[in-house]
Amino acid sequence: MSYRKTRVRMPRALAALASLVLLGLLLLPSQAAAGLNIVATTSTLGALAREIGGDETEVRVLAPPDRDAHDLDARPSFMAALRRADMLLEIGAGLEEGWLPAAQRGARNRAINSGQPGHFRAADMIELRRSITMDGPNMGHVHEEGNPHFNTDPLRLADIALALAERMGDLRPDHAATFMERAERTAERLRDHAKALAAQVAPDQRIVVYHEDLDYLEEWLPVDIVGYLEPAPGIPPTARHLRSLVSDLEGTEGTVLYAAFQPARGAEFLERNLGWTSHAVPLDPPADSSLDGYLELMTTWAETLPRQ
Amino acid sequence: MPLTPFSRPVLAALASLTLAAPGAAAAQWTTSDDESAWGMDVSLILEGIYYNELSHGNDSPAGFDDGHDHGHGNGDDHGLDDGFNLGHSELGFQARLGDLLDATVIIEFDDQDIEVDEAYLTTRALPGGLQLKAGKFLSDIGYINNRHPHEWDFVNRPLVNEYLFGDHGLLEKGVQATWLAPTATYTQLGVELLQGETSGIANYEGSQSSLNDQDRILRDRSGPRLVTAFAKIGPDLGPDHAAQFGVSGGYARSYQVTDEHSTRFEDWDGSAWFAGLDAVYKYSAGRAYGHGDWRLQGEYFYREIDVDRRDVNFEADGNGPVGFVRNEQSFKNQQDGIYVQGVYGFAPRWEAGLRAEALGLSNDVGRGDGESFGTSYRHTAQVTFRPVEPVFLRAQLSQNDFVDDHGDRDRGLEFLLQLNVALGAHGAHRF
Repeated sequence: MSYRKTRVRMPRALAALASLVLLGLLLLPSQAAAGLNIVATTSTLGALAREIGGDETEVRVLAPPDRDAHDLDARPSFMAALRRADMLLEIGAGLEEGWLPAAQRGARNRAINSGQPGHFRAADMIELRRSITMDGPNMGHVHEEGNPHFNTDPLRLADIALALAERMGDLRPDHAATFMERAERTAERLRDHAKALAAQVAPDQRIVVYHEDLDYLEEWLPVDIVGYLEPAPGIPPTARHLRSLVSDLEGTEGTVLYAAFQPARGAEFLERNLGWTSHAVPLDPPADSSLDGYLELMTTWAETLPRQ
Repeated sequence: MPLTPFSRPVLAALASLTLAAPGAAAAQWTTSDDESAWGMDVSLILEGIYYNELSHGNDSPAGFDDGHDHGHGNGDDHGLDDGFNLGHSELGFQARLGDLLDATVIIEFDDQDIEVDEAYLTTRALPGGLQLKAGKFLSDIGYINNRHPHEWDFVNRPLVNEYLFGDHGLLEKGVQATWLAPTATYTQLGVELLQGETSGIANYEGSQSSLNDQDRILRDRSGPRLVTAFAKIGPDLGPDHAAQFGVSGGYARSYQVTDEHSTRFEDWDGSAWFAGLDAVYKYSAGRAYGHGDWRLQGEYFYREIDVDRRDVNFEADGNGPVGFVRNEQSFKNQQDGIYVQGVYGFAPRWEAGLRAEALGLSNDVGRGDGESFGTSYRHTAQVTFRPVEPVFLRAQLSQNDFVDDHGDRDRGLEFLLQLNVALGAHGAHRF
């Protein structure tokens, strides 16, 4: 006996069925295009999109605001959200490079592919500060384009808000004027609040931060970053590095700032040895924030510093 | 090449999808930024393994001899020599054709061989949540099958993946179509049409020359010979928890084995199918450097081989002349395997993991008078340290508890030390 015909018939029927189902799915109408469905990688971008989009948009934030946005997995739930998105907002400049490309590919949604109008990369809209990783030794995590942590810079976010409104207007021309109006108001509030806070803080503040994620505070507050708890970006603080920081900064005054998800040990060491105060601060507003949430966060940062 | 009946409708569907894609591309958006058109990412993974067999147990688990490639050293863990070894090093290239296609090539090498592990195109612009993949690729059945060694939590491949599929898992040339449903819960369905060359599930020999005018039962069979299907579901469990559950199966319309004995060839010709379940759960503690994170994963697969056997003498012996035929029978092999593993980040940059495996919970081999072999086990513990993100150092202790063909158990203990370094483009953290 050779090849058994009965064994082949079932898979043939299955294969035919599968191909029919696939073809049928192609003809499925795409979902209703009423509101603009936006997925933002971080809650700072989400806050801008909510403020600009108002009731005309639905915003979902992927990275939990209390987590390091470098270190996420391309979760199935991210792909499910991106599958239905009209627009993807990312920080760019390598911040989400560990997981977003995989999530984007897995989402099977052309609208949010790189190069499509539905893909908005905030880093492309502004001038970035240099990243330490561009000059230091290659420790496997190089941000070639510059420092991607501009979520702590309201002035750059104001420019991003305007660019974002323009792009959202391209996708929903009916609302373009409304989006732009709201973006202009958003930009104004960001700039005004930044100016007001800067005026409250005593001049020439010296700060030590954990990672290069608070560098952009220098852009709008009267602060000068005089050291990092990490010996190099992505490398946890070492005892030797902390001792050398202490010996460099001995006899000066300042403040230590670090993100709530970063270990407190290095900051506590400086607090003990230099008498500086240290503060764990959030880097992004709560996931469901709009602009008010971000403005409050700016106040939180400013209030860690001595007042005028 | 004559197309086989069951592949025709699927190929027609795939062809129509492929033809539809360029039309959809007409609405290409022009970007102002300097995104390079070529945009090739290159990555290099280097791995070194120190291997030490502390005590020698049974070489291989009972019931899984046939169809499994024994081209390695002396029965130890995958050709590893006692002492220093160059492990699974990889050179990976990824390039994009606009936003239409991704091309991926992964070259695997050790100190002796270089081979193209994967080389495939993936569409990115098909409508309706569809994606096609074509080329040589690791099948998306199960969970660990499509992952490369540097993405594993343990140094070696789970037994069930190695013995039910092959030394590279289910790695085939072919096409894949997947669809992601537009639902809040991640739901992915996929089918694959594969050439059918993987030793464990679709071993292929092709026609063998006749002996003294006596034909062999093995015949040429044009591909594709293997079809698989899978579904994956990933509920949204909020920022701290994530999970994915999968079910998959496949059917090989050709499963052929030939074995050379002292005076005769033993030939098997028939078909095989498999089915399995997989689950993974991850907990993210939200602390730095993976401290407090959990990963749990497990897979179960069942395989049934249904073949005709017929032996032909290539040398005269006590039974008959050259071409003499004997041992004609039809039989089934019904076998399965399972593994469960957990990894915990017990300190910043430090992980520890445990894996428990069983192979042949059902282990019925119908050859000859038929036999039910016992179950083989393996228990593994590992500790991993990541000094910086692209580098890890892993120490692993494995206890093999394999049963042999006579039902005797013997335990072997192995120690492995693995150094893995990823250079170049950032590898994506797939879920």
